[in-house]
Parts: sequence; structure tokens; C-alpha cells
Amino acid sequence: MGTPKELRILYENIDLPGMYTLEVYQQHGGYKSLEKLFEIEPDALIEMVKESGLRGRGGAGFSTGLKWSFVPKDVEPKYLCANADESEPGTFSNRYILQQKPHMLIEGIIIACWALGIHTAYVYVRGEFTLGKKRLDAAIAEAYQAGLLGKNIRGTGFDLDVYTHPGAGAYICGEETGLIESLEGKRGQPRNKPPFPAVQGLFMKPTVVQNVETLSNLPFIVQNGVEWYKNLGTIYKDTPRGVDPMNTGTKLYCVSGHVERPGVYEVEMGLTVRELIEMAGGVRGGRQVKAVIPGGSSAPVLTPYELDVPCDFTCLQMNKTMLGSGGVIVMDETVNTVEALLNLMEFYAHESCGQCTPCRNGTPWVRDITRRIFEGRGKPGDVDHLIEVANMIADVDAFTWNTICVFGIAVAWPAVSFARKFRPEFEAHIREGRPVVLPVEEAVTPPEENYAWPQTIPEAVRRPTWDY
Amino acid sequence: MAFEFTPDRWERFQEILSHYPPERKQAAMLPTLHLAQEQNGYISPEVMEYVAQLLDVSPAQVLDVVTFYPMFFQEPVGKYIVRVCHTLPCALCGCRKIIEHLTEKLGIGMEETTPDGKFTLLGVECLAACNQGPVMMVNEELYGNLTPEKVDEILDGLE
Repeated sequence: MGTPKELRILYENIDLPGMYTLEVYQQHGGYKSLEKLFEIEPDALIEMVKESGLRGRGGAGFSTGLKWSFVPKDVEPKYLCANADESEPGTFSNRYILQQKPHMLIEGIIIACWALGIHTAYVYVRGEFTLGKKRLDAAIAEAYQAGLLGKNIRGTGFDLDVYTHPGAGAYICGEETGLIESLEGKRGQPRNKPPFPAVQGLFMKPTVVQNVETLSNLPFIVQNGVEWYKNLGTIYKDTPRGVDPMNTGTKLYCVSGHVERPGVYEVEMGLTVRELIEMAGGVRGGRQVKAVIPGGSSAPVLTPYELDVPCDFTCLQMNKTMLGSGGVIVMDETVNTVEALLNLMEFYAHESCGQCTPCRNGTPWVRDITRRIFEGRGKPGDVDHLIEVANMIADVDAFTWNTICVFGIAVAWPAVSFARKFRPEFEAHIREGRPVVLPVEEAVTPPEENYAWPQTIPEAVRRPTWDY
Repeated sequence: MAFEFTPDRWERFQEILSHYPPERKQAAMLPTLHLAQEQNGYISPEVMEYVAQLLDVSPAQVLDVVTFYPMFFQEPVGKYIVRVCHTLPCALCGCRKIIEHLTEKLGIGMEETTPDGKFTLLGVECLAACNQGPVMMVNEELYGNLTPEKVDEILDGLE
């Protein structure tokens, strides 16, 4: 087996000048999938997507085909919402799709809507994505003009309207029911589930909410077939109940922080966290790595002992963290882990929508405990206190949350994992009454005392060989 | 003073409205507020009443939305809105130095506007450009890999 290499499928030609125009996109194979699409029966297409193993790239990693199969067929109208509200700290791959390959997203939307019999799609674009929205709006206009959208697409009798809808700076609108509320012109406060959006979503009609990256995978599945897609990535066998073994396709890993070459790396799923850091040029200045967040700021942090975990949905879940949105934040030996957690807790305290008491009050509480530890005002017992309060928002060990949406666990996960895994550094702050950066070996809780230890990596039936 | 859309914005508003089912006018709330803010600079009580009328909702429902989303302003802001990211990936790349430089250069704190009304400085959460950290936006433009010198160059070049 060779060393992991980039394999650009979604990101192929992403830097090409004018790739955001219909002309250049079509010159490079754009919209080719439509030649096959309209010959595939919608139900067969849903089966194809299920069979491909494609999982949602927005964070939850839920099987896309399975989600589609929950959508009732006899209710009209139905809606598709493309989630382009990319706001998870450390994640930035959708930004470049919107700016450079907006037609790929439109192509994916057409495919999803054909499969589900949907005639109206909204793209909820983060308010700050000014260039991305401009390019996407222009691309949609081009697509209408070319007969790729609108009435009777390519003489098939299939109608589809696509509109962009701007957000206005609230992180929570990336949560699918928060997005729906926001699209309806209200505060973006998530809804109780069930009913799930597939049954009652936008305007109380069946709705599929799908991340930009997920939708962007569809043209390639239709164009090249399910077998081709399943020959990318990693498939495990004998995973525990509730753990999906499929990690097919490539993933747009967003590597940021203390690496030499931060950026988006498109790789078949299956490379380890360590290999991904290497791909990004290694830790800056040849320094030692201290902590890595593998899936956006909500994902539990990894210590240097845990970097040989494959960076895929299955393995990260089995090792008590997640692939999430694929935002990999690397921190080197100079980082103060208490300060890093404080930064994240400030983020979550600011972004809590205020709907549920455990989150509205608990998140600032966790932030305040973290702040007082960082500022040297911590009291003995504060680390346990921090963990206890965070666990009251969401119990990370039981994987249950006392809130309407998963924001609760998105707060508790980093809080509890930082405090448990870097406990010596937290305790040193309290002991010495000032910010202390310990050497990596001393800052990390010994792996055998780490709640996420020992590591579990299941046997794979298919792994990437990187022989290209 | 009463507020109403200019004729070209009225046309854009009609286009926005056509994106949603006729009985779901409220769905046009965010794009309509963006349009109004583009014209008025901020969302005043008059703007809220106008938007409420257009979308068949109460002014309180508009206020409810305006206060939820950080991109809507209820007070006048500067000609240039400087949004500097302070979330973890940018913090790891030294955004603190950029923020200190900005506050010193502009002589204002976060959430403040310069006395001449030229700049409003805002600390914002992750702008989803972490590979270019530290980053900031000036109105609609994104700038990455910032250094104090680069910040000077960008801001000094603005009229």
C-alpha cells in the first residue's frame, strides 16, 4: 500500500479560471450526468444512492439514500434545501465550491430533485458568503437560460426551480430544522424531532436538507456508477450496532491551524489523522503536535496518542469523536489547551439560540468556569465542575442531550474532551494560579486513563490503495 | 420618516417574493431585510414597520428576527464594516495581533464606530476561510493571511 495521495473529484479543476461559468464547467465534463439521469427511474436512483454508501457531509454522516427513502411519495409539494450555511469553525470546503464550481452544486440539486420528485429547491447561503452567492446566482441564471432549470428540463417534462436564500450570520441555522425555521422567515430556532423534515419540514411539507458537499457527490455517482463509487474509500465489516461501516468516496478535509500548508485536501476516506497532517506539510516549523480537532469545533479533541485513527466516519465514531464536517484543526506544542477551549466556549455561548435552558444558561456557565481556570482564578474541583456542567447540557458518555437540537452535544463534546484529555494542563492552571503551557507529554492525560482509550479500529473489507 | 423601497429595489423585492409560495410571504423576511438594510444602512423601527406591512406580519415579528441575526443592525453603522474573525483557527494564526492593530489604528473598540462614521469594527465568529487565517471582511470583500502591514494597506486604500 502506498502513501495516501490526494484524489480530486469534486475539487477537480477547482482553480481553473472561469470554472464558475457554464461554458468552462461544461468543457470539463459538467452536466454530463444529466445524459444518464433522466433514464434512471427515481426509485432506482434512490436505491443507487443508498447502495453507494454516500453519507451526509454536513456533520451527522447519515446515509443519504436512507434519508431519501423516508420521504413520502404521495405528498405535494416537497422541497429540497441545500445547506450552504457553512459555519462550523474549521470548515471551509463549501465556500470554494460556491465560488469556483457552483454548477456542480446545481447539477447535484437536479439529481436529488429528480430522485425525490421535487420541483422547488432553496440554497440557504451563509450571509457572509457574498462572492459565493453572487457566483451561484449567476450560475443559476445561466442554467435557466440553457434549459437546465425551469420548465420541462431537456424535454423530459420535469420542472425544477432553484432559488438562493441568504442567511444573516447565525451559526444555528446550519442545523437542519433551524435552517427551515430561518427560511420560513423566523428566528433560526431548531424544532423538536420527530416529525423529521423528511415528513414535515419547510412549510410543513416533506423536505430534504442536504449539505453542499453531499449534493456535489451525486453527479459523479450518476455519471460513473455505484461500483466505481464504492471503489473509493473504506468499508468495514462487523461494526457494532448503530455504526455505519460505509466510508465510500472522497472527503474534502479542511486542514487549518498549525500546519505548513493549510487548505482543502480531497482524499479517499481511510487515511489517518497523522497522514492528513503530513499531507498538509506537517506541523509548522517541525514542532510537536499537541491537540487535533478532527471534525469541526464540535468534535471531541484528539491527543498525540490518538492520531493513528483513520479519519473516516466509522473509526472516529468508534473512538468517541466524529468526522463531522471534516474540519481538522491542528494545534502545536505552543498552544494553551485551556485557552483553546475558552475560545470555543465563547463561540458556543455566543451562538446558542437561547431556546433551551440547559444550553442557554449552561454554555455561558461552562465558558465562565473555563475562563476563570485560564485566568488563574480556578478553584480545586473546577475541572470536575466544568465536566459536570457540560454533561448536564448533554451527556457525552450516554450520547443523550437535554436540548432540542444537537447544539447541546456540540458544546459538551469539546468541553468534556478537552478537560478530560488535557486535565494535567487544566489542573496546573489552578495549582499555579496563572496560565501555564505544559510540555506535550505532561499536558496530556496518560492514554490508559483517557476515556476514549483503547483505540478501536475494525477490520476493513475495502481500503484505499492510493496506487495512482 | 417613513421608509419605502426605491423603484429598482421594489422590483428586486417583487422578484424575491416570487421565490416563495404566495401564502408564505414571511419566508421572504431575510432577503427583504437585507435589501432594506442595503438601502437604509440599518434596520430602523420605520423599516421594520414597512417590512411587516409588505410581508403581512406584525412589526414585532420583524423585530424578533432582526434581534436574532448578527448581520442586521438596529443602529447606524460606518461606511465600511470591518468584520474580523476571532474563532479558534484564526486565533491559532495570530488574529489577536490583528485585532489589537485594528483597535489601535481605528481608535475604537469592538462593536464601535469611528466618530467620522467611516468604520465600524466587529469581532465575528468563523468566516469559513480558515486556510487563510487570520481573516477579515470589509463590507463584502474577504481578506486573508493578514499582517498588520496588510491591514494598513487595505484600510488606507479606502476612500
